[in-house]
Amino acid sequence: MKKYLFMIFIGTFSFLTLSPEETKAFESTYEPNDSGDVFIEDARILTGTGKEILKGSILISSNKVKAIGESLSKPPGAKVIDANGKWVTPGIIDIHSHMGVYPAPSLRSSSDGNEATSPVTAHVWAEHSVWTQDPQMPLALKGGITTFHVLPGSANLIGGRGVTLKNIWSRTVQGMKFPGAPYTLKMACGENPKRVYGGRNSEPSTRMGNVAGYRKAWIRAQGYRNKLEEYKSKSEEAKELEYAPSRDLELETLVGVLEGEILIQNHCYRGEEMAVMLDIAKEFNYKVTAFHHAVEAYKVADILADNGVCAAMWADWWGFKHEAFDMVWENAAIVDQANSGTGCAIIHSDSAIGIQRLNQEAAKAMAAGNRAGFNILPSRAIKWITSNPAKALGIADKVGSLEAGKMADVVIWDGNPFSVYSKTEKVFVDGLLLYDKDNPSTPKATDFELGIINSQENRL
Amino acid sequence: MKINKKILISFLSCIISFLSFSEELLLKNAKIHTATERGTLENSDVLIRDGVILRIGKNLVSSRAKEKDLSGKVISPGFIAPQTQLGIVEIELVPETRDDRSDIYSAGLSIDSAFNASSTLIPYNLTGGITLSLTTPSSSGLFSGLTSVFSLSGSLEESLVISNIALSANISGGEDSMAAKILLLEDSLNLAAITDFGLSPFISKGEVQNAKSRNNQSNYYKIYESSLPEEVSYSARDLVALKKVVNREIPLVVKANRASHILALIDFAKRKNINLIIHGAKEGWRVSRQLAKAKIPVILQPIDNIPNSFNELGSRLDNAYLLNKSGVTILIGSHETHNAYLSRQGAGIAVSYGLPWEEALKGLTKNIADVFNLDKRGSIQPGYIADIVVWNGDPLEVTSFVEEAYLSGKAVPVRNRSMKLKDRYINQ
Repeated sequence: MKKYLFMIFIGTFSFLTLSPEETKAFESTYEPNDSGDVFIEDARILTGTGKEILKGSILISSNKVKAIGESLSKPPGAKVIDANGKWVTPGIIDIHSHMGVYPAPSLRSSSDGNEATSPVTAHVWAEHSVWTQDPQMPLALKGGITTFHVLPGSANLIGGRGVTLKNIWSRTVQGMKFPGAPYTLKMACGENPKRVYGGRNSEPSTRMGNVAGYRKAWIRAQGYRNKLEEYKSKSEEAKELEYAPSRDLELETLVGVLEGEILIQNHCYRGEEMAVMLDIAKEFNYKVTAFHHAVEAYKVADILADNGVCAAMWADWWGFKHEAFDMVWENAAIVDQANSGTGCAIIHSDSAIGIQRLNQEAAKAMAAGNRAGFNILPSRAIKWITSNPAKALGIADKVGSLEAGKMADVVIWDGNPFSVYSKTEKVFVDGLLLYDKDNPSTPKATDFELGIINSQENRL
Repeated sequence: MKINKKILISFLSCIISFLSFSEELLLKNAKIHTATERGTLENSDVLIRDGVILRIGKNLVSSRAKEKDLSGKVISPGFIAPQTQLGIVEIELVPETRDDRSDIYSAGLSIDSAFNASSTLIPYNLTGGITLSLTTPSSSGLFSGLTSVFSLSGSLEESLVISNIALSANISGGEDSMAAKILLLEDSLNLAAITDFGLSPFISKGEVQNAKSRNNQSNYYKIYESSLPEEVSYSARDLVALKKVVNREIPLVVKANRASHILALIDFAKRKNINLIIHGAKEGWRVSRQLAKAKIPVILQPIDNIPNSFNELGSRLDNAYLLNKSGVTILIGSHETHNAYLSRQGAGIAVSYGLPWEEALKGLTKNIADVFNLDKRGSIQPGYIADIVVWNGDPLEVTSFVEEAYLSGKAVPVRNRSMKLKDRYINQ
């Protein structure tokens, strides 16, 4: 047990002088029941790796994909699911969600997504706001969402830590946490922080104020890291003579970014702002993993590709604010095809409506790209909502594609997923069938929904 | 000589009018979704004369028509956007680009003079298949104001189609009880009913007071009915709009979602003998029988199934299907103005939850025209105005695009600012 704790201590936030107990706080307790063997046959599979298998099978064994291919043999005793030629994809991943922190019904009492009291709140963690009984979650599961990333809102320059959750019913947020997923940090460019704080006549009230705010925060983080390193480099005797630097929740998170252990998820609409944010990252030697709501990503698609940064986009949202005025339907396609197809495009929702059909949003973006002259196949476009968000969340070794050894998050669709008419038929999370259109008691209703319309009826 | 000149002039004007009336367009070999009882016609033609549909059928010929081969293409009526702010909002969070609200006027707010035919949202939504907008103010009080109908032609002078065709009200939100709002609806209509403006609606507030007290003196019941709470006051313009509702000249569109609220409104409409349209109706499926019986149509956003408040806990994706099955007339809209055209995605989703495809198309076109009395609009049939959209595929499918659009039979460019931005950057 001690050894186990020690390994976590080493594996997570090695830069910090945290005790094992401190490190273990809020760890994932998610442990799925054993799925046994499940064999999905006669499926048209978009693997999420860029391939399409026209007629193949998937063998799931104890929650993991064991094999996938055209001529797998059915193991005896496996639960067999005949897909009847229907389309199968990896579980869909939404990299931008506020489910749980902005739940439905939308009430002030559970509107917990923005700690809009100070422009830098790196010390807050979105997971501590999550209401696990948000009825939006099972709706998203019906839309094929098996993993989602919950972020703090965008009122702040640095809004706090995000958390990656599996879309399963649980009494606790720890029970939903994606095991081994790295933490993320939400940053926000542009209008929102300057509107929120400028409106109070405090800094930042301009975009240059925003940038000064990020840089000041990173300078403080560097100072804290130097202090930690200085203490760490001392001899054991010297350490006994003085206290370790006291913990600082805010700076621990920022240092986690500088050490490459926490991934930056940066709300940023405008092209020139993305370029500025990339320069800040170079100045302080950290990496921006993804720009979110990147309405103008198409203007800097080559720069993003050169820097290995993903852009998470909507298919067609625009006009709600000035920085969202220059939307093009081809945005995702242009990002995807940048620098000979080395771009990383992601379709995200930021919406409890949109998260239920990321497949349709990807379909729109793919169709717009193809109309503009690209040749983007469903086998590639599916990556925008599976393996690419997995990559940007640091969990691509575990989910996002159907490959041996990965978590068995699988969706069976009743038609081509790139169509408005298609719905999910079955959704597996870790090999467990959590939504089956033929079973009205799935997905499991949240506590909130029980008897909520009248005492005899549940909501779903 | 004098007479000859007259004859010559009338002869010439005959020729001129003949020439101007003879502009014909023949769209050939398309799949035509008529949004009528004729349904969908394969490989058929539409003949348009002077902006009006003349004939629909196979192998139509006309010696003077300009022909256009649309083999492999799909034709639908232009979609109509119900209850949007198209033309009166440019950027939602920039107040100076918004003309959709007023604190000064309530029911009487008519937004015609603010409509901006050059708004970027107009060619954008035309590109998405919308040809007409029922543009509606969105003031936050009990009454939002009057709806007018605009074409998405972009024409500075000819966009307005019909003025002030409906009055919008909102009974949810705010701190006041829903019951108080229904009472206020009732009191407001009562006041309008007994207010006599004579010939001119443009009278001063004092004159309204006089009119009120004249009426008050004449009848105790009228005094009772016309006493509004102190906080509420209406201008003459507001009362004129309310009076149109009382006289059944225009319908009252009320936003409501909870089943019990809808029932209360059905009862209210019956008592006051007004034309009611429910907007939202997320729990409409629970009272679909009552809605059908009262012949009250509903405007839905079928894509929105979020139980966003305690007034809409029963939201579900098969609402449109269930309402239609019960015989309720459904009108399909989008939940946002910028992408008003995404009503078609909502319609497609409703189809995937059981709504018949032809009914979904009518929900985007014919039903809206019928419910709001838009004469000769919303479907493809002889005698109707040729607002027509040409698609590269199924109009409800998210991967389909508009290729051509005709407004009153005239081809309009399917081109928007977004496309120009794309062209600038796509090959850089």
